[in-house]
Amino acid sequence: MVIVEIANKSIKSFGITNDDNQNGAELVFNGRVRGTEKGKPIKYLEYEYYEGMAEAELKHLANKVCKKFTINHLYCRHRVGKVKAGELSIHIMILSKHRKEAIKAMDWFIFELKKNVPIWKWAILNDGRKIPSDCMH
Amino acid sequence: MINVKVKCFSQVKYALGVDVLTFELDENTTSIDLEKIIRKKAGKKLNNVPLRIAINQKYQKEETILQDADEVVFIPPVQGG
Repeated sequence: MVIVEIANKSIKSFGITNDDNQNGAELVFNGRVRGTEKGKPIKYLEYEYYEGMAEAELKHLANKVCKKFTINHLYCRHRVGKVKAGELSIHIMILSKHRKEAIKAMDWFIFELKKNVPIWKWAILNDGRKIPSDCMH
Repeated sequence: MINVKVKCFSQVKYALGVDVLTFELDENTTSIDLEKIIRKKAGKKLNNVPLRIAINQKYQKEETILQDADEVVFIPPVQGG
């Protein structure tokens, strides 16, 4: 199963369960806004996105990951708008029978997301200046 | 003639100073023709910016003849995550 969401609000975790006897691995990735950009302190990152296409690309990628790797579920929440330093910008959970496939799938999904999903960000510095935030790590 | 809408994001929005542009174009105008118009309009601001093209919310792999009422986005490098 795939769930993808893009929203202008704080990210809530997909949560954990104690009654899943199919998925031995539950892998979570949280992407968090750092307090500096290119060595300069920031107030927040401002994310913009192409509404409609961003959701469609995210869903397309998530479905592709589920076919490419032996995983059972992929859930992803991506935040847009103003995201303060310290807050989550993305939350991904992958469930699979074994860990190795989940780890590979997570890395591939994030790599492709950063290449294809039409979402952009600017860093707003403490002095009010706006600079591109182009982290690809 | 055809009318197309160009939505602008990130560096394209910064370079052109607008969210949306509308164009009246000759029939048979292609996505690459329109990209040239956009780059010219931006002066030198998009010179080193690679742009992918989306028409009606789908990436285009090849040059495409634009249709009336198309929504076109020139997508600078994305930065999600």
